[in-house]
Amino acid sequence: MSHSRSHFWFVAPAVLLMFVILILPIFVAGIFSFTDYNLGSTDFRWIGWKNYEALGKYSSYRKMFTASLTYVVIVVPVSVLLGLGSAMLISSLRFGGEFYKAIFFLPVMATLLAMAIVWEFTLDPIVGIVNRFLEDGCSVGWFYQFFTGGWLGFNPADSWYGNICSERMPNWLGNKKYALGSISFIGIWQAFGFNMVLYLAGLMAVPRDLYAAAEIDGAKSTWETFKLVTWPMLGPTHVFVITITSIRSFQVFDTVEALTRGGPSKSTYMMVYAMYEKGVKQNLVGMGSTLTIVFLGFVLLITLTQVYFINRKVHYS
Amino acid sequence: MTFRTNWYSEVMKHIVLLLGAAIVILPFYLMISFSFKSPAEIQSITGGFFGAQEMMTDRKCLKEGRSIEECTMLPIVYNYRAAFEEAPLLRYLLNGVFVTISIFAIQVLIALPCAYALAKLEFWGRDAVFGMVIFCLLIPVHAIALPIYLMLAKLGLTNTYAALIIPWTISVFGIFLMRQFFKTVPDDLINAARMDGMSEFSIVWKVMLPTAIPALLAFAIFSVVAHWNDYYWPRVVITGDRDLMTPPLGLRMFKSDMDGNEYGPMMAAATVIVAPLVVAFLLAQRRFIEGITLSGMK
Repeated sequence: MSHSRSHFWFVAPAVLLMFVILILPIFVAGIFSFTDYNLGSTDFRWIGWKNYEALGKYSSYRKMFTASLTYVVIVVPVSVLLGLGSAMLISSLRFGGEFYKAIFFLPVMATLLAMAIVWEFTLDPIVGIVNRFLEDGCSVGWFYQFFTGGWLGFNPADSWYGNICSERMPNWLGNKKYALGSISFIGIWQAFGFNMVLYLAGLMAVPRDLYAAAEIDGAKSTWETFKLVTWPMLGPTHVFVITITSIRSFQVFDTVEALTRGGPSKSTYMMVYAMYEKGVKQNLVGMGSTLTIVFLGFVLLITLTQVYFINRKVHYS
Repeated sequence: MTFRTNWYSEVMKHIVLLLGAAIVILPFYLMISFSFKSPAEIQSITGGFFGAQEMMTDRKCLKEGRSIEECTMLPIVYNYRAAFEEAPLLRYLLNGVFVTISIFAIQVLIALPCAYALAKLEFWGRDAVFGMVIFCLLIPVHAIALPIYLMLAKLGLTNTYAALIIPWTISVFGIFLMRQFFKTVPDDLINAARMDGMSEFSIVWKVMLPTAIPALLAFAIFSVVAHWNDYYWPRVVITGDRDLMTPPLGLRMFKSDMDGNEYGPMMAAATVIVAPLVVAFLLAQRRFIEGITLSGMK
């Protein structure tokens, strides 16, 4: 059945925009990644693979890969496990589940940039509430003993907590020892509620009778039913949650730009921020495009891994 | 299991979850609390949640030559007034509303007819177009940012509303979502409309659109939340013009202009920016969770 040519007018605007806004830019970035083009100049030179070689040659790019991968390796497992853990706790509650669900989902909704600024203030070395709390704890006997390991017979002064009590409180965002960890913490804080909601949906889909069957098969403890039923039945949810969290972690930008600008000494210099800094702030379009293509490569790699796992039928239903 | 162990494990679960909730809530609590307090109370972390609300005198205001009475006010009034006066917060909010609504309206305008054609019309190249949609779903927005920024710069469009809106006019996710939804609409409904002599154009807007309201609502939440909160794209294309800034970018500028001590007004601004979505979420939790986890399908 052919209905006049209306379909053309329905599809054409979308196809045109898809081409101009989504597909063409990828090619443009691909082409510019082989040039030394910058926005100020009128012409550019082909420089072959030099931009790509620079990625391996300069320590700032090596630090970029290290920071990005470390961030992903910290944020993905922790926020996935926290999401799963909180979903399992909430779904097994007799009352109050909706309350926790709403609270844990709040950071997903809230403007990340605004919340990043609040976290910066919370983590401030002098007036921040985190360090005030730690400082007050130094003079509380049991708290000090507990966190320095004194109660296990260790020398309190040798421990991390004993050390910051006697020396000085950590500068969470300004010290390269802590900065990436602090940014990761904010990332986890923001992301795990999203994973929790996906896991809650996944848990709802696990057939109740499987738990009864597992009990008949001799699964006694909660841990055994978890291993036998819950974990494997969540197969598709795992693939999905891990993929989406990995892609999102690769895209971290707001917290880095607002709180550390990639520093101190490039310890939080992550990919999307590097792309922005090179390509937009410094107008080095060639290098920015190279970073774009590498970033795209990482994201596609994650997606292809997801497709591979889905095709291996992680779902047993 | 006995009643006692059940009760025991329920309490343990609540303790763990309450501890987690306390950490999750902490920055929201501090943000709101600081937006009420005077600078001295913020520095010394005193005054509980609301602060003592003792009258304070704004020195900057005195320097402008106004009377002491005019410049003396409650800390809460000082903070929120400074947020709206020193940073043009109202302007940022209006920009945010304008940009997010424009983006959503254009996305629907483009995606709905396309989704209808893909779901219900047969034409040459339909599979190719659908394949293109699926392919474009794989492209992350950060990967097209730099080339689009270049194109806009070449066209002289940076620092305009158009720059904030154009890259988001096409939502392949919206097309995909609506196509899946239209697939479930019975053909009879469309054939009946055709019998009545409706054009394909009016079928899209008068027959399909009303049936799609639930899906469209979920997509609206997804789109509005994403663009109200977006900081990356405005940061790239708006470089100097304060009149065009969206709320997150405006807040960022406020932060970098500040002399470090004005946390109160900044927290007031942050509260005002975060509040609309959080309040809407608390009122319609189920819909919001549904809308935002839609992106999960991507």
